Amino acid sequence: MRSHRPSFVFGALAVAGLLAATASVAEAGVYDLTVDPVVIDTGTFKKDGIGYNGASPGPVLRFTEGEDVTINVTNNLDESTSIHWHGLILPYQMDGVPTISYNGIKPGETFTYKFPVVQSGTYWFHSHSGFQEPDGAYGAIVIKPKKREPFRYDRYYVVQLTDKHPHSGARIMRNLKMMPDYYNRQQQTFGDFIDDAAKMGFAAALADRMAWGDMRMMAADVEDLQGFVPLINGKASAQNWTGIFKPGERVRLRFINSSAMTYFDIRIPGLEMTVVSADGNNVQPVKVDEFRIAVAETYDVIIRPKEDRAYTIFAASMGRSAYGRATLAPRPGMTADVPKLKKRPLLTMADMGMDHSMMSGMGGMDKKAMDHSKMPGMDMKGMDHSKMPGMGMKGMAAKADPFYASGSGLTPAAADGGRFLSYKDLRAQKPRYQHRKAMREIEMRLTGNMERYVWSVNGKKYADAEPVRLQFGERVRFKFVNETMMSHPMHLHGMWSILDVGAGKWNPVKHTVSVAPGTTVFMETEVDAPGQWAFHCHLAYHAAAGMFRKVIVEGGEKSAALTTR
Amino acid sequence: MKSNTYRTNIAVMSAFTAVLAFAAPQAFAAGSHGGGHDKAMSIGKPGKTANVGRTISVVMQDNFYEPENLTVTAGETIRFVIKNTGDLVHEFNIGTAPMHAAHQKEMAMMVEHGMLEPDKINRDVKMSGMAGMSGKMAMSHNDPNSVLLEPGKSAEIIWRFEKTTGLEFACNVPGHYESGMMGKIQIKPLKTSALELGK
Repeated sequence: MRSHRPSFVFGALAVAGLLAATASVAEAGVYDLTVDPVVIDTGTFKKDGIGYNGASPGPVLRFTEGEDVTINVTNNLDESTSIHWHGLILPYQMDGVPTISYNGIKPGETFTYKFPVVQSGTYWFHSHSGFQEPDGAYGAIVIKPKKREPFRYDRYYVVQLTDKHPHSGARIMRNLKMMPDYYNRQQQTFGDFIDDAAKMGFAAALADRMAWGDMRMMAADVEDLQGFVPLINGKASAQNWTGIFKPGERVRLRFINSSAMTYFDIRIPGLEMTVVSADGNNVQPVKVDEFRIAVAETYDVIIRPKEDRAYTIFAASMGRSAYGRATLAPRPGMTADVPKLKKRPLLTMADMGMDHSMMSGMGGMDKKAMDHSKMPGMDMKGMDHSKMPGMGMKGMAAKADPFYASGSGLTPAAADGGRFLSYKDLRAQKPRYQHRKAMREIEMRLTGNMERYVWSVNGKKYADAEPVRLQFGERVRFKFVNETMMSHPMHLHGMWSILDVGAGKWNPVKHTVSVAPGTTVFMETEVDAPGQWAFHCHLAYHAAAGMFRKVIVEGGEKSAALTTR
Repeated sequence: MKSNTYRTNIAVMSAFTAVLAFAAPQAFAAGSHGGGHDKAMSIGKPGKTANVGRTISVVMQDNFYEPENLTVTAGETIRFVIKNTGDLVHEFNIGTAPMHAAHQKEMAMMVEHGMLEPDKINRDVKMSGMAGMSGKMAMSHNDPNSVLLEPGKSAEIIWRFEKTTGLEFACNVPGHYESGMMGKIQIKPLKTSALELGK
């Protein structure tokens, strides 16, 4: 697939108006990808899909920082396609979004991507056309840094997750548009209503359902697409992808969530994980027992299994409707216990963005919403930490997570006790930019109407909205206000998203920022990439329904070479 | 050098640990590190300048050491010149894996109490609730087997090694050890002549 051609590179990116300042000896890899119709076998069903080089997931592309890559992509489908290199900083013409970066790749054509690799870490690539990505068109990217890593490991594995659905993406979208709860199998039933009426009284139970009805949401709407089979590196739980280790080795696991719609909570019972990277950027190492990976995010963790036994990688979907499972073992064929899924979480009034004072007028409502003990999926052991005298080591992880609404049904807690990673724990290992005050703030309210399956920004869907205009050289602060009851992983192409976790210069640098229901999250962007870019919710059907914007960066074409890092 | 370094004291911190009733068995193991009553558990002891036979420069970067591993001879006294050239706080600590594990919990607590930020050590922060002990007090104890350095700072440790297995040098700033900022100290058996010289 790859040939090395060490060569002199003189301004290889003339196409982008970039000129390399000096000629340098650079590694120059040539890669060939074909986009092919494939069959995806989940063990429980076989499904026609789309893959790369004859398989889904596609190959792991291994680049080196500083390399100039040439990637020839040949479209063997009978429809147009595209490849977006998720998280890579590159000229906008190489970003792979039809109608924004270029016109896509027509059937039978080959498009040649050429760009310098200016970063290192774990990323991925996927089609940005129609629903090809949910249909299987995705793969992983691993970029070796020029300098040594700020950590050590003996081997690494890519652990790429997806949520394979038996229906095609196009069919799912049609069904959601017709009936937004088409795939919600966890709806509260009349039986649940009778139970609640017995517990809280008939009037209160009725008021509860009516309140949710007013929001055009249901409490079980954690996942609006269920019925999928989680796959890890293309393997379902029973197919059990296995990574081999020698006891005592440090193993780097590069988790990538390539799902169309599904967040996963990941743990490896019996092992602590040290998170060393988020979205390809190194973070100051954080030891955790479990972490949540939003759609399109990547997290790298280092583990050190010391025992001569198998360990299970357990990935429970956030709505607990399904799980993915893989194994780490000293020898092939070994397995470890697979945990049971905990009870599904229900959204609460907090996830509606209602504050507590509003709820007091709702006759018994507040009690139900706020009583943590009734919130399935909340591990009470986890909650008890706050009652410890503030001294226990476990107590440290137990402070309220500011990235979830207070009382949210989605607030995670480690299933086996211990620490659950929060955005607030992330600190850049090495700040990518000088810290400075943003020059202006841009509000992006994340909005939607679940009943019509319309998803939008500031109440307008993509087709009706003006592009967001940024000025080259400015630093902007984006304010995401999530007015919906679903989590939205917001992905800005082409420029980094500096997530405000209150750590100033140490704020982590990401490419995808998840905004939980009922919360406001800030991120800042150094506008250092001229051209036009996509900015959207990475849930496939939300993006398609209109939670999407075009961003135009004005000015800066000439100085691009000086600032692109 | 005094203002540059913050000598953490395992014994004192371990005592806090016990008071706080989440003592791990390792903490007690850690408490015995300096004594060397038990040959197998001894990690060596502070050395005398006069006996220094060799100087080893240790550069701490983000987040690794150069060199990555050390080889010494039992009975040898070594001057370690330790420099933090990274952008983050790092530690150089000589101990066994269980000692480091116990110390990591203490360091995590220092972070939790604001005594330790990514790139600085706050010497005046009180360890609230810790039986009235302040960071200052903890600091005033010199623990000879470790040094905690802010970016750009240097320090020295003079250490006399004995025959020990499983000795490691490590940075116990949270997450650093786990992600590989540790190295093995291989101790070669002492030759008769070396023994004589060492005495």
